[in-house]
Amino acid sequence: MHIPDGVLPVWLWILGFVIMAFAVVFCLFRLKSVDLRKYVPLLGAVSAAMLVAMSLEILPIAYHINLSVVAGILLGPALGFLAAFITNLILALMGHGGITVIGLNTLLLGSEAVLGHTLFYLFKKRPPVFWRAAGATVLTLFITSLALIGIVAVSHINAEFLLHGDEHGSVQGGDVTVSRFAVMVLSLGIVGWIIEAFITGAVVRFISQVKPDLLVHMLHKEKVGRSKGNVK
Amino acid sequence: MIDVARIDHWAASGFGPLHRASIVSKIIFLLLVVSAAVITRNPYPLMIGYGVLLVVAAAAGLPWVRVAVLSWYGALFALLYGISLGGGIWIAVLFIVKAITPSLAMLMLIVSTPYPRIFSLLSVFLPEILAAGLFMTYRTLFILLDMMDNFAAAIRLRGGFSPGSLYKNSTNISRGIGMLLVRAVERASRLYAVMVVRGYNGSMAEKGEIRLQSHDWLPLGTGAFVLLLVLVWK
Repeated sequence: MHIPDGVLPVWLWILGFVIMAFAVVFCLFRLKSVDLRKYVPLLGAVSAAMLVAMSLEILPIAYHINLSVVAGILLGPALGFLAAFITNLILALMGHGGITVIGLNTLLLGSEAVLGHTLFYLFKKRPPVFWRAAGATVLTLFITSLALIGIVAVSHINAEFLLHGDEHGSVQGGDVTVSRFAVMVLSLGIVGWIIEAFITGAVVRFISQVKPDLLVHMLHKEKVGRSKGNVK
Repeated sequence: MIDVARIDHWAASGFGPLHRASIVSKIIFLLLVVSAAVITRNPYPLMIGYGVLLVVAAAAGLPWVRVAVLSWYGALFALLYGISLGGGIWIAVLFIVKAITPSLAMLMLIVSTPYPRIFSLLSVFLPEILAAGLFMTYRTLFILLDMMDNFAAAIRLRGGFSPGSLYKNSTNISRGIGMLLVRAVERASRLYAVMVVRGYNGSMAEKGEIRLQSHDWLPLGTGAFVLLLVLVWK
């Protein structure tokens, strides 16, 4: 779900931009030993695939799949986060999501890529690849939905304050309204998580059957290379 | 459905006053409208601002009906957030206009400006990898959308879509997306090889010029009007 402009308080979306900028710099720092020129076409291909997936809206719940977990699995956490930034920027340019909240939207989508990658590789090779990817997706989307609720919880202001500027009313009724928002997001979201988990699982299984080398991420290749180097 | 090809066609083929305005003036216009949406606590001036933007879009020869429809995309989250605040219909309306007005301004920018000009300006501020990634994503997006259309036509012809069978449809869509990803990665690898042969050294985006011109009165005037409206009518 993409947060539009004008909804969240100024301090929150500015903080979102600052944290996103630090995260992007950290990702670029993590990738400094990698020849990034090689990954520009791959980054573009996966980001474009995410945009195509987002254009397939599932009626009647107005949910669209993100493929952010697939991006994380294929690209790794750092490049996956950069793909999330590019996707969000292009989405904002098309009016799908706000300009001011590119930071927060990128943090949400980027954390899906990072978490998805981490959980997929944490599951090791015990369950079949479909269930590893699907399980990682459900857990990831649950956590990022909680993060979305957290963002709304810290941003929540009283309706009276918003309309009339009554600062004394600014903290009243916050818990009730946040819990209402949480119920709405989680109840609408659970259908979406299951659909996304099924599609992510099937996509990753398809890739593992057709082009399994795509699932051997460069981070793990590097680790293998290093351990081989140590043995020598 | 994000109709990227149509948006690109509108941006590249129009000759209206907004098409002739500089990218910098349209970015300032967008920032003025976003500022208006951020600071307002009254839905009326923003509703009028939204109407003014639609009139300007129509007068500038933009596809204003399509653009207006697309601008409502963010309304769902705004509605949920507004309802959750518990302020009744009034607060929900305020959040919806706060969401759709900047969205309309953004769409007016994108349908009147070819994407290389926007990315060129962004490349002034972004690291090289992100600027190149933006260009590559946008370029690949058209190829993938075309491939997705072909895939949808092929699967229909072979009876792959069964109304009522969510499992079968989801499985086919997943395979389609998987195939799309594999082919996109293969194309990307080939493209990289071609780019290297042609002298690619990590830089793709030409840096944009930051300069105002005589055609900029319309976006600057419209943006300033919307912001003034919000500031005066509190």
